[in-house]
Amino acid sequence: MSITAETAKEHAHDPAVLCCRAEAGITIEPANLEDPAIFDDLVDSGLLSLDGCLTIEEVLGAKLTKTCDSLCPLTADVLDGVKAPSAPAEEEEEEAAPAAAPVAAPAAAPVAGGVMKIHIGEGKDIDLEIPVGALGAGGAAAVAVPAGAESTVAGAAPAEAEEEKVVRTLTRKHFNITEVKRGPETKIEGTTLYIREGIEQEVIDNQELVKDFHLEIITPENYHTYSETIMDVQPIATKEGDADLGTGVTRVLDGVVMMLTGTDEDGVQIGEFGSSEGYLDENIMWNRPGCPDKGEIFIKGNIVIQEKTNMERRGPMAAHTAFDVITQEIREVMKELDESLVSDTEELKQVRRPGKKKVVIVKEIMGQGAMHDNFILPVEPVGILGARANVDLGNVPVCVSPLEVLDGCIHALTCIGPASKEMSRHYWREPLVLEALHDPEVDLCGVVFVGSPQINAEKFYVSKRVGHTVEMMDVDGAFVTTEGFGNNHIDFASHIEQIGMRGVPVVGMSYCAVQGALVVGNKHMTYMVDNNKSESGIENEVLGCNTLCEEDAIRALAMLKTAMGGEEVKAAEKKWNPNVKSTNVELIEAAYGKKVDLVDNEQSLPMSQKRKEKYD
Amino acid sequence: MNNERLHYGDKIIYMEGVVVDVDDCSISVDLKGRLGFFKAPKRMFICDTEPKVGQEIGWNMSFPEQLGPEINEKYVSNIEKERRKQEEMRTRLDNKEV
Repeated sequence: MSITAETAKEHAHDPAVLCCRAEAGITIEPANLEDPAIFDDLVDSGLLSLDGCLTIEEVLGAKLTKTCDSLCPLTADVLDGVKAPSAPAEEEEEEAAPAAAPVAAPAAAPVAGGVMKIHIGEGKDIDLEIPVGALGAGGAAAVAVPAGAESTVAGAAPAEAEEEKVVRTLTRKHFNITEVKRGPETKIEGTTLYIREGIEQEVIDNQELVKDFHLEIITPENYHTYSETIMDVQPIATKEGDADLGTGVTRVLDGVVMMLTGTDEDGVQIGEFGSSEGYLDENIMWNRPGCPDKGEIFIKGNIVIQEKTNMERRGPMAAHTAFDVITQEIREVMKELDESLVSDTEELKQVRRPGKKKVVIVKEIMGQGAMHDNFILPVEPVGILGARANVDLGNVPVCVSPLEVLDGCIHALTCIGPASKEMSRHYWREPLVLEALHDPEVDLCGVVFVGSPQINAEKFYVSKRVGHTVEMMDVDGAFVTTEGFGNNHIDFASHIEQIGMRGVPVVGMSYCAVQGALVVGNKHMTYMVDNNKSESGIENEVLGCNTLCEEDAIRALAMLKTAMGGEEVKAAEKKWNPNVKSTNVELIEAAYGKKVDLVDNEQSLPMSQKRKEKYD
Repeated sequence: MNNERLHYGDKIIYMEGVVVDVDDCSISVDLKGRLGFFKAPKRMFICDTEPKVGQEIGWNMSFPEQLGPEINEKYVSNIEKERRKQEEMRTRLDNKEV
């Protein structure tokens, strides 16, 4: 299909290819040229080779010296009167292909505007790019960009140099635990936690569906232990007094976490679809926000629920509810602990920064049913009592304060897909919330949780609510994050569209890479950050490997600031290319003058035969 | 990337199937033409309306290709552990019922 003069202008630096047969002697006009948007697919399928192809601006007005067929790339040998190319201006962001090369180049190259890109190559118009841009003091070509970035920050600040306002604070008192034992009663003595012998029966009696239960204490020496699929990892924390989540004082045990696994009476794993069962030390990506840290002790419960209920909603719910009996007993003990045992106190402040760019974080959580569900706002951190399942709430947006998130307002039933699921502990240490809260250049107004229902009609129902919720917040920018991949990417795209169409720049964050490539896209999905860490870009069955980490939060914030500052973010390449991330990280490091520590991936774990042979 | 190991990965064929079971977390599908059966998590299905038994669904797929003759002992061991555990639990359940 031929293109118009405007399209030709937009694509001035894209390859010029004839859209239909053209006779020798004609003068090349936009009407003779094919739309560059379709080239990626043609090149991929081998129908088109762009080697030596001139750009659209070079060929316009030139005379064709030879009759050529449709889809013939225009090269210098068939044209007379080719124009000299202009400097590749920064208008290339529209199409991925040409912009790709410079961006993927080593960061040292002065890529105009340093961009972070990430790309997701499937589906149409879904390429993702991540700009790190505004900050990219990469070299001469980038000069315009940093200037803009400063104006973002500087522009907002002087206008209203209002003071930071601390809305509320949350104090975390840490108690160190170095040993976990069984004993006649649940208690904490010094740094030893005792769990009452026989508590198993109470777990079993708590829920009709729970038929059996075993408790295991896993110490670092026992990490090489076979385990069923890990359903959830939870912090052990409790509120002091009557304080609500997100305020007052929370007591938390360090060095120990709760870990839930389970099967039904037939021995079938709960929510079984291929899983992370196997040796713990080969299947856990240590120190991810949602995972155990290396060196911690696991209080691991294996729950057996009634046969055939492993795929029903009540099965996983009963397992989580019954397991909380143990956590609750520990919480009761913690409430009585003497202050002298506090090993560390940290104060989390919810700070509003009037005059700074106002941003909101929208976190999409699973809501398709069964373990694709989350309990929202329990009374105790990551508890059960008082919480409502987001599926029961209709998956509609629920607004919470950043401190509620960090205080365990989500008890995640966590869907399958070990590498990209966000477990309860993830929210307790949510990196994007922490980064945005601590960034003096933005004003984080809150966090919105929205469930991902199964059917499309409901997906669009909730995403429209997200659009209106964000609209009335009058924000300057938004993040939309999601866990896992699959049909939740439909509403993920829709949330971004609903917010983007209101003129608010949106940075989307998800695991995408190879297997999680987005199934849909829209024109508002221009700023994307890929949470992938795995070497091959896949769901590698290693717990927490591809979840949102600090490095992703830093990239997303840099990108949103760039977008809010009105700078361009370049499009990513069509195919997933991990270099985009590393280039962008280098650009951020150069611009901020600080080192971004990247987390390890599965390559750092003892290599199981499976990974060695199959994946890497 | 691993798909380079496929020799026929670009042979995409259109397939249809019938939903034969829906539970809270998965959908089971019989492939039309007696070509098999699969069960996958709900989040991997795209549905305009509530999924129900008897509905027809379509998708593109290619042929699953063996990636090599090697046997991954870890998987074998997991499968074996799983089988033994299920057998044990089944026995226990049967005894209870008696």
